Amino acid sequence: MTALLEVKDLTKAFGTVKAVDGIHFTIAEGHCVALLGPNGAGKTTTIRMIAGLLKQTSGQMVFKGAGNRGEHRELIGYLPQTPSFHNWMTGFEFVVYAGQLCGLTSAEAKKSAKELVERVGIAGAAKRRIGSYSGGMKQRLGLAQALVHRPKLLVMDEPVSALDPIGRREVLDLLRELKRETTVLFSTHVLHDAEALCDDVIIIREGKVALQGAIETIRDERRKPIINLQLENDESSRQWLALFIQTIRDEKRLANQLSLFETAEQHEGAASFAVKDVDAARQLLIGEMARNQIKISKLEVGHSSLEDLFMKVVGE
Amino acid sequence: MKGAANTSNKLDPTSFMTSSFIRYLVMVQKELLEQARSYKLLWVPLVFVLLGIMQPVSTYYMPVILEHAGSLPEGTVIDIPMPLGAEVLAQTLQQFGTLGMLVLVLACMGTVSGERLSGVSAIILVKPISASAYISSKWTSMLLLAWGSLAAGYLASWYYTGLLIGETPIVQAYESMLVYGLWLSAVMTITLLFSTWLRSSAAAAFAALGGALMLTLLASLFPKQLGWTPGALSGFAYQLAAAGTPDSSTLSAAVVVTIVCMLGSISLAALQLRKSLAAE
Ligand SMILES: Nc1ncnc2c1ncn2[C@@H]1O[C@H](COP(=O)(O)OP(=O)(O)OP(=O)(O)O)[C@@H](O)[C@H]1O
Ligand SMILES: [Mg+2]
Repeated sequence: MTALLEVKDLTKAFGTVKAVDGIHFTIAEGHCVALLGPNGAGKTTTIRMIAGLLKQTSGQMVFKGAGNRGEHRELIGYLPQTPSFHNWMTGFEFVVYAGQLCGLTSAEAKKSAKELVERVGIAGAAKRRIGSYSGGMKQRLGLAQALVHRPKLLVMDEPVSALDPIGRREVLDLLRELKRETTVLFSTHVLHDAEALCDDVIIIREGKVALQGAIETIRDERRKPIINLQLENDESSRQWLALFIQTIRDEKRLANQLSLFETAEQHEGAASFAVKDVDAARQLLIGEMARNQIKISKLEVGHSSLEDLFMKVVGE
Repeated sequence: MKGAANTSNKLDPTSFMTSSFIRYLVMVQKELLEQARSYKLLWVPLVFVLLGIMQPVSTYYMPVILEHAGSLPEGTVIDIPMPLGAEVLAQTLQQFGTLGMLVLVLACMGTVSGERLSGVSAIILVKPISASAYISSKWTSMLLLAWGSLAAGYLASWYYTGLLIGETPIVQAYESMLVYGLWLSAVMTITLLFSTWLRSSAAAAFAALGGALMLTLLASLFPKQLGWTPGALSGFAYQLAAAGTPDSSTLSAAVVVTIVCMLGSISLAALQLRKSLAAE
C-alpha cells in the first residue's frame, strides 16, 4: 500500500484566522477517504489547497507521480462544492473542453466524454445548454468533467450535500463504482455518507485533525457498551435521575477508578451511560431504581455508534 | 518560445511547449465560440459597419438634412463645402474612437472577472493549464474581435466614401487602419488587465475607458513631450487617414512603446491571476 498523497502540516491563514491549522494525513492509493467535519471546519479550504486553487500559508503536499515541474494538477480531478460552468455550452461540449484542457486530443476527449455523460446519467441532456440544467444535473456534469482525463485522485467537495434523497443515493452508488477505479477524497458533514462509502475517515474540527484512521478500526477501538435509560416523566423520577447523574459525575471528578460508569448524559427524562462492565452497571442501576421506586419505561443495552463518537469528537 | 529549451528537465521541453500551445488554441477556439454564441461576433462588427457607413452618408446628405430642418429663413442658400474623402475617413476613425470603443470595451469587460464571479474559473484553472495561456487566449480572441470589427467598419466606410464623396487611395486607408488597430489593441489589453485585476466587470470597463481617455488626453495636451506614448496613436491614425504625414520617427517610437506595453500588460495580468488565486 503506497501513499498517493501526503499532506504535511498544511496550514492556511486568512488574516489572523487559521482556517486550516497544521493538518497532517496520507491518502493511500486506491482508498476512499472522507474528510468529515462540521460547517466551517476547514474542509473546503483544505480541498482547495489540494486542488491547487489556494496557496497554503505553510506546509507541504507530496504527490506520488507528479512530474518534477510540481505539476500535480494532471493527476487530480476536482469537483467544487457548488460547480458552475459556461452556461452557453452544452454539457457534452463542456466535458470535451475539460478533456482537451487536460491534454487529451479532440477525438480522445469526445470518446471519453461520450462514455462519461452516459455513466453519470445525463446522456439525455448532453446536447442541451448547461444553463437549462438542474442542480443535480450540474453535480453530475461536474463529476463527468472531473473524470474525463482519468485522474489518479478524484477530489470532491461535498458532492452530495446539494442533492435530494434520490439524487444523493444515485450519486453515492456512482461513487461506490468509481472508487474501485481511482483514489477518492471527498468532504462531507454527514457521517452516514462517509460510513457508507469510505475506507478511511479524517475528522477535522476548527482546522485541526480531531481523529483519523480506518473506519473499521475506529469503530472497533472506540466501541463502548452503552446503557440507555428512559423514565416516566414524573417529578420524583426526574429528581432522582438528576441526582444520580450528579453522583456519577462527582465520582468521576474524584477519579474513582472503581466507578462503573465512564460518562453519563441526561436528555429530559432519558439518560445514556457509557459503562465499563455492562452486567455490574445494569445490576446497580436496577437496584437503585427499585429502591427508590422509580418508574422505568425503557432500559436498553447497546453499543456506542460512530455517530456518537463523531458528535463527541466534533462537539467537544 | 525558445526559453523553455534551456530548462534542465526530464520532460521533453518541445513536447511540453506544443501541448501547452495546443491547449492555448483550444481555449482560443472556446473564446471565439463564446463570442459567436453570445452574438458578440455579430453585433460588434455590425456597430462598426454602421458607424463606418453613417459617416460618409451623413456627410453627403448634410445639406439636404439642414434644408429640411426648416428653422432657416426662406431662400437661404446652404453652401457647405464638401469635405475630401480622406477627411471623411479620418472622421470615421473618430467615430470608432468613441462609440466603437465603448462597444468593444463593454463586450470584453467581463472576460476574466465574469468567469471568476460565476465560479467557472475554479473548474477551468485546476486543469493543467498555465495562467499565461489562459490570459493569452482571452487576449487573442479580443484582438481578433477588435481587428475584425475595425476592418469591416473601415472597409465599409472607405467604400461609401469613394462612392459618395471621393476616392482615397487604399494604401492611405490601410496604413491608418493599422495604426488605429494598434490603438484599439492597446485599449483591449488594458480592459483585459483590469478585468483580471478588479472583481467587477463594470469597474473594469470604467477603468479601461478612463485609462484610454487619460492616455489620449495627455498625448494631445503635450504632443511634443508625449508623442511617443500609446495615447498618441489615434491622432497619428487620423493624420494618416487625412493624408497628413506624421513624424515617422515619433510614430515608430509610439508603435514600439505600445507593443512593449501590451506585452507587459498581459504578463502582468497573468501574474495577477496567479497571485489572486493564491490569495483568495
Ligand atoms: N476567503 C476567506 N477569507 C476569510 N476567511 C475564510 C475564507 N474562506 C474560508 N474562511 C474561513 O475559514 C473557515 C473554514 O472555512 P471552510 O469553507 O473551509 O469550511 P468548510 O468546512 O468547508 O465548511 P462548510 O461545511 O460550511 O462548507 C471558516 O471559518 C471561514 O470563515
Ligand atoms: Mg465547504
